[in-house]
Amino acid sequence: MLGKGDYDRMKEQTSSRLFLSRFRKKGNLKGVQQTNWIRFCGFLALVLLLPILVNESFYLTKATFAGIYSIIAIGLALLMGYAGQISLGQAAFYGVGSYATAILTTTYGWSPWLSLLISILLPALLAFIMGYTMSRLSGYYLAMATLAFGIIVHVLLLEWREVTKGASGFYGIPSMSLFGYTLSQGVSYYYFVWGIVSLVVMLSLNIVHSHVGRVLRSIHDSEIASSSVGVETGKYKMQIFILSAMLAGLAGWLFAHMSYSISPSSFSLDASIIFLTMVVLGGSGSIWGAVGGAIFITFISVVVHNLGEQFTFITSDFEQVIYGLILVCVIIFIPHGLSALLYRRSKGSY
Amino acid sequence: MENFLQFFVTGATIGSIYAIVALGFVTIYSVTKVINLAQGEFVMLGGMIMFTLVSRGLPYWVAFFFTIAIVMVIGWGMEVTILSKAKGADPLSLIILTIGISIFIRGMAGIIWGKNPVRIEPFTANESINVGGAAITPQSIWIIIIMLAVVLALYLLMNKTLVGKAFQACSVNPIAARLMGINPRKMSSFSFVLSAILGALAGLAVAPIMFPAYDMGIMLGIKGFSAIILGGLGSAPGAVLGGLVIGFLESFSSGYISSGLKDAIVFTCILVILLIRPSGILGEKSVGKGGL
Repeated sequence: MLGKGDYDRMKEQTSSRLFLSRFRKKGNLKGVQQTNWIRFCGFLALVLLLPILVNESFYLTKATFAGIYSIIAIGLALLMGYAGQISLGQAAFYGVGSYATAILTTTYGWSPWLSLLISILLPALLAFIMGYTMSRLSGYYLAMATLAFGIIVHVLLLEWREVTKGASGFYGIPSMSLFGYTLSQGVSYYYFVWGIVSLVVMLSLNIVHSHVGRVLRSIHDSEIASSSVGVETGKYKMQIFILSAMLAGLAGWLFAHMSYSISPSSFSLDASIIFLTMVVLGGSGSIWGAVGGAIFITFISVVVHNLGEQFTFITSDFEQVIYGLILVCVIIFIPHGLSALLYRRSKGSY
Repeated sequence: MENFLQFFVTGATIGSIYAIVALGFVTIYSVTKVINLAQGEFVMLGGMIMFTLVSRGLPYWVAFFFTIAIVMVIGWGMEVTILSKAKGADPLSLIILTIGISIFIRGMAGIIWGKNPVRIEPFTANESINVGGAAITPQSIWIIIIMLAVVLALYLLMNKTLVGKAFQACSVNPIAARLMGINPRKMSSFSFVLSAILGALAGLAVAPIMFPAYDMGIMLGIKGFSAIILGGLGSAPGAVLGGLVIGFLESFSSGYISSGLKDAIVFTCILVILLIRPSGILGEKSVGKGGL
């Protein structure tokens, strides 16, 4: 007797073998892709080297932030590029993850490692409820629903003062320790965050290159075609939505324990839009693109900050203007993002 | 009862503003199938440019029409320089594109006008009228009148003029319209101009009661977008209905429950309504799967 799983696996293997035999020599293979380990090792080397090259604490903090944003951007890239859904409320999951751990560790004295579980599961639960109730929505209606969700969470973080302490922010969040070694802002936290980013990248690349990734790509290309060959499109879209929420929650957990205090302004609509900018810049559907986009956007904020110290007329509004210009230029000139620009040259895999 | 009446008038006033903004969304959407999330920035520009012109010493009503003309040119420029270049991009990219434009305009406004809200005189004297215990400012009556006038003017324009017919033809079937000698490119520019006018009007009307600031556009844009989604994408009556519903929800929830929580309540109601009617109250008009 063959179980359903066995059958799926067989189907998978035959189809991949067919694909491989037919297309392997042509190089530009879209169906089956493999993780490029050389690229991954190059990435690790860069991550390891950075603190040696740069040791000012401001830059290290920014680099750590880039890592936290990368995690959210990866989730959003999976959602947009593979499930073809837009989320205008990703900052809400980030905020829920962040506040969950802040409240549990500070008010109730939990260990940060225990609250990590809640920081990931609570956004997942919210995403499940959202996905379940909103499954009939699509297109702009879905964009509206995610936008509404983001605003609701932001307002609740502001107004539920007994728990979240309101607009002034929640402070006194303990830092965490790993094997008796306290992780505080600086080199140790940088390595901790980027270590997690590496794990997330590896996990996402595996998802993208697996059976699930191919199914998701087929949904993205044509939902009708994939459902007509027996793919439960709704189930896969839901899974990827939940995954993106969990990643945002994880990023929120990292953010809360890095900073001593958090406030609702970090989780507003603007934040959601900046995450969107990172993904669009990198090219939706590309894991490396998302990481690159997050790094690039953080880099811009560093540059604007440095310029602002020298020229008084450059303020944070200037940053907004640049983000706006980037979004417009990317959509017009490189609609598939930076990663597409690079891959077209090198013809590599993801 | 007095409170109820007061909240009702406030709701009708804000609702009318949202309705005008939402009509701007519909105008662009019906021809170009673009949801222009920079619509709220037209409203902001309307208020801020008016302030600049009046403070430079221009007479009120001259400044009024100059403001509309300037915002109109900005809307036209936006279509010609940016959106016409992005034809053929998928709807997700177009949403992001208009978000980009909106961030850009807001940032520029922050640089030009600074962060402080400005004050603009109302259209007529500001003595509030007492009706059944509710104080009604003349400006809110003006806002409601402007909304009704906009609805009437749009109705006449769309149904009684040749331009309107061409406009409708483009929205139903651009290729067939082209075969009939209508230039869809021109109609697309026209829709942006029209929508910029609507945005500027909303901005001018609301400025005296709202104290415009560089960032007022974002929330107005979101509410306008919510209004068209709530009413049913692509339907003008739906946009007006959606705008008024959101206005009333906002006013009653801030009056009876909490003004801090009003947005949370409004958007929760929108989610619930979408849950019951996934394509808006009046249902979408020939847009297919959620407009994508």
